[in-house]
Amino acid sequence: MADRMKNNKISIFYKLQIFLAFAAVAAVLLPVFLNDSHWPVFARDYLEANGEEQTGAANIVSSIYLGYRAYDTLGETIVLLVAVSGTIGIISFTGKNLATGYNEDDFEGGNRKNRKRTVLMEVVTGKLGPVILIFGLYVMLFGHMSPGGGFQGGVVIASGIIFISLGTGGSENNILSHSGVLAKIEAVSFLLLVLASAIGLITGIGFFANPFNGNPIPPVGYIILLNAMIGLKVGAGIAYMSVAMLGDTDL
Amino acid sequence: MITIILVLLIALSVFTLQHRDLLQGVVALSAFSLLSAMLFYMLRAPDVAITEAAVGAGVSTVIFVWAVKSTDRKDES
Repeated sequence: MADRMKNNKISIFYKLQIFLAFAAVAAVLLPVFLNDSHWPVFARDYLEANGEEQTGAANIVSSIYLGYRAYDTLGETIVLLVAVSGTIGIISFTGKNLATGYNEDDFEGGNRKNRKRTVLMEVVTGKLGPVILIFGLYVMLFGHMSPGGGFQGGVVIASGIIFISLGTGGSENNILSHSGVLAKIEAVSFLLLVLASAIGLITGIGFFANPFNGNPIPPVGYIILLNAMIGLKVGAGIAYMSVAMLGDTDL
Repeated sequence: MITIILVLLIALSVFTLQHRDLLQGVVALSAFSLLSAMLFYMLRAPDVAITEAAVGAGVSTVIFVWAVKSTDRKDES
């Protein structure tokens, strides 16, 4: 009897929590939906008129996050760097093998039931990996004129690297499935990103200002450069995290 | 079409929250990401759609599956 009463009490409290959550969401969202004033259009019209001319990027989203708001993008990459460092710290603290069974030699006594990696998976991921890698490079390098950019292309590149490292079974001749190499790529491309952002300091036009003005390199070159740096950094960082989770690591 | 996708998104997220089998919850979350990528594409944000498809349906699903594998598959609370 007392037990049932306790359950009842908990369930009333639970319902109250749900009600409060919905009330909070409504308090935030209803003023947005219910008022009938128009959306502000000044920034939209300004970007539509001047964005391509000032930054050289046909993709307005790219021109915002690498042209007008490049400082925020630097902050985002630092957030990702901290996240990857924390994950690697936890993995190296708790033990190297989070996912047992994916390596060639760690299933006990040749018992194939304990082995998670199958022939089907190896063949499919090994053949699909390079194609995804090329698609990721395309998304990354053409981010200034088509949908995509550094972050999107970087994540696609990370998927390609994970596929390759699953498909080749951590063999020695595949350099991309070694986590040390990926960590070096990430560090070097982040350093190059910071250096590229500081070019403007040397030439006296300001932090993250575009140093290319048309002779000989058009201004869009700066956006392509930043996209390539960010893409390599994001791709190597996420792939580093996932390869370390897979277990074949030299941490 | 957008309404159908939104209703499906709510259904999938409720399923993910309420289901006891965490692996099926992860798969439902991946379907959620794929549907919302489709929604972003229909609302003319292809950049966000690429990110959502690659991160939500790809990398985060892989990470969640590894997390479920190295802990418990059943939700005990």
